[in-house]
Amino acid sequence: MTLADATVGRLLKVIGRNAPRHGGGETIAGLGIHVGEEVIVVRAAPVSGPILVEVPSSGVRVAMGRGMAEAVVVEPADAAA
Amino acid sequence: MRRHEAPEPGSGDSQPGIPNEPLIAFVGQPNCGKSTLFNALAGFKANTGNFPGTSVAITQSRVAFAGLHARIVDLPGTYSLTPRDGAEEVTRRFLSEHRADAVIAVVDASVLSRSVELTLELLETGLPMVVALNMMDEARRKGIEVDVAALEARLGVPVVPTVATRGEGVVAVAIRAMTAAKARRPGIPPVYDRDIEESLAGLQEAAPRGLADSLRVPQRFLAVRLLEADPFLLKHLDRDAANRDFLDLAAAQRQHLAELHGWPEESVFGSHRHAAAVDLFESVATVRSRTRRSKRERLDDVLMHPFWGLVFAALALAALFLVAFLVGDRVASLVQRPFNALGQALLPAGVTGFWADVGRGLLDGIAGGAGIVLPYLVPLLLIMSVMEDVGYLPRAAFLVDGLLHRVGLHGKSIIPLILGYGCNVPGILGTRILESPRDRVITALLVPLTACSARTVIILALVAATLGPLAALGIYLLNIVVTALAARLLSAIVPGTAPGLLMDIPPYRIPPVRAVLRKVWFRVREFLVAAWPVLIVASVFLGVLTYLGIDRWVNEALRPVTVGVLGLPEAVGVTLFFGILRKELSLVMLFQALGTTDVASVLTAAQLVTFTLFVTFYVPCVSTLAAQVREVGWRWTLVGVGLNTSIALGVAVIARLAMGG
Repeated sequence: MTLADATVGRLLKVIGRNAPRHGGGETIAGLGIHVGEEVIVVRAAPVSGPILVEVPSSGVRVAMGRGMAEAVVVEPADAAA
Repeated sequence: MRRHEAPEPGSGDSQPGIPNEPLIAFVGQPNCGKSTLFNALAGFKANTGNFPGTSVAITQSRVAFAGLHARIVDLPGTYSLTPRDGAEEVTRRFLSEHRADAVIAVVDASVLSRSVELTLELLETGLPMVVALNMMDEARRKGIEVDVAALEARLGVPVVPTVATRGEGVVAVAIRAMTAAKARRPGIPPVYDRDIEESLAGLQEAAPRGLADSLRVPQRFLAVRLLEADPFLLKHLDRDAANRDFLDLAAAQRQHLAELHGWPEESVFGSHRHAAAVDLFESVATVRSRTRRSKRERLDDVLMHPFWGLVFAALALAALFLVAFLVGDRVASLVQRPFNALGQALLPAGVTGFWADVGRGLLDGIAGGAGIVLPYLVPLLLIMSVMEDVGYLPRAAFLVDGLLHRVGLHGKSIIPLILGYGCNVPGILGTRILESPRDRVITALLVPLTACSARTVIILALVAATLGPLAALGIYLLNIVVTALAARLLSAIVPGTAPGLLMDIPPYRIPPVRAVLRKVWFRVREFLVAAWPVLIVASVFLGVLTYLGIDRWVNEALRPVTVGVLGLPEAVGVTLFFGILRKELSLVMLFQALGTTDVASVLTAAQLVTFTLFVTFYVPCVSTLAAQVREVGWRWTLVGVGLNTSIALGVAVIARLAMGG
């Protein structure tokens, strides 16, 4: 599962990263979304627009286009690791 | 290690300072309040923004406190020292070329664990450093308490809590940085896991003798950057064949670590630094969990709501234009009155001759500028600066990203486009916030289509005044639709790929009044310095043309277009042609050409609309063209000129036919 298909409000854990289709993936970590981090999709923009991702541990909030979100592999945080 | 007599490659400011005047660089992640802190020290000399990457240009200033002098420089915000775009590269180069004697690392205490990662990287450079622990008020609101003494002990450098927006701790940071520059004592770089440290030690051992010294960096920094596969450094070292073995060893170490940790090669080191930052955060900060939803979240529930958010955005834009309609119109007539009176007193209608024509041109030029700046530009820029500094613009970008993608645009493109409604020049400069060259080109070619204040004046004077405000609103809506279609077209033409949206959403902030006024002043000054003189010169030039009778030739030459295609009186030819010099001239010149300010008595409704639409869409003013050439180059500027002219002709002809002109 990637961030692009995550349900709003559910606590997730980042387990991996792919290269986004149109590049620019390096910044994802720079903005504070690291592998191993827990994240929540706080809200989604209209017309299949971006999603707003929060990293609860740091309070960082990042807007992410669908292409970028597809590059972040996640699993539910409560799933047995 | 830092020898200042050494030549500084690519340095833009090698002017010698006062001896003992150290250079202090402000470095921080976007939105950490770095520019605000800088401006609190520098006074009315710099620009500040709340949108990631606003501070692209380097701003410098001189300061003196407690008998100490320093030059301070505001480097573009960057998430890390591995540059990802031009602005970040500026920061990286500035630091790796050792132009700074000390660094003020500005850290956003409210997102400390992320913000401090850059600080850890900076510690590795070995530069003397002071940490400005900024946004302490925001951190407290979020329930984050930071043990400053513990943080100081861990980093080995002074840490000063600050609230830049209120000026708290600002002078203390500056003084500590000046002292640090003198003492030249570096901080304590982070220590990583054992296997990483082993790799680092191995690389330091194997480094070609004198390499770190020749780069004027610590051995450890060199090793760290290589393990990070820093493209900047790899490219630099690869130029010398003597470094090949060393680079191969570094590559082998990276692969070894990647296998050991089961992470992709390029993110192994970053993940470890992140872990170091989190560890640091946990050891110096305590977080009380919040129970109730913050104001920000409740506000975002509305402003970022898929439906209500868009409604709000539309209302905000409408309010922007309402200000132009109501306030601008009234103030404009107040401003124009003394000029008209002066004109009538000095140059009554009967007076003719060379100096009379030149004098009228001069007066018209001055009045034209004043009639734009005060009533239209200042209020529009004021509202936009507030929206920018409060943190609304990134949210607007979030909301419209999906819509803009439909026409091939990036969400962030909305910001330069909105700025373009004030003045196209800051709009085009604003395209720098876009990461991909493709998005920058598309947006920079679209900005000239937005109806800037000068064109707002024309729309108001010609259409709103004669056909009513609804007709003017119609022109704005048409403007938006045409811009969207042009975006669609450009996204099919302009090559390259564009990464999707990835943008920090900062908390809402109440910007200090001074900061907003400063920003407005900077943008107004751009107009006053760059545009107004051109307007005056162009207007005088036009007076000379009138005297010489050249305007008649121009009108004659343009007759096929003006009369034939557009169905306008021949006299407007010169108006359209020289409108390129400054858009607002078009109105002044139209009055001149028609010999009256009561245009409705001379032109039909269809002619008014045709003329206004043509002026709205066609080639922007020279200042805009100059900005375009600077940002996207000649070729794309020419494409833009072609696009503007075709759209202007097309839309104007359709309007003429539709209205039976």
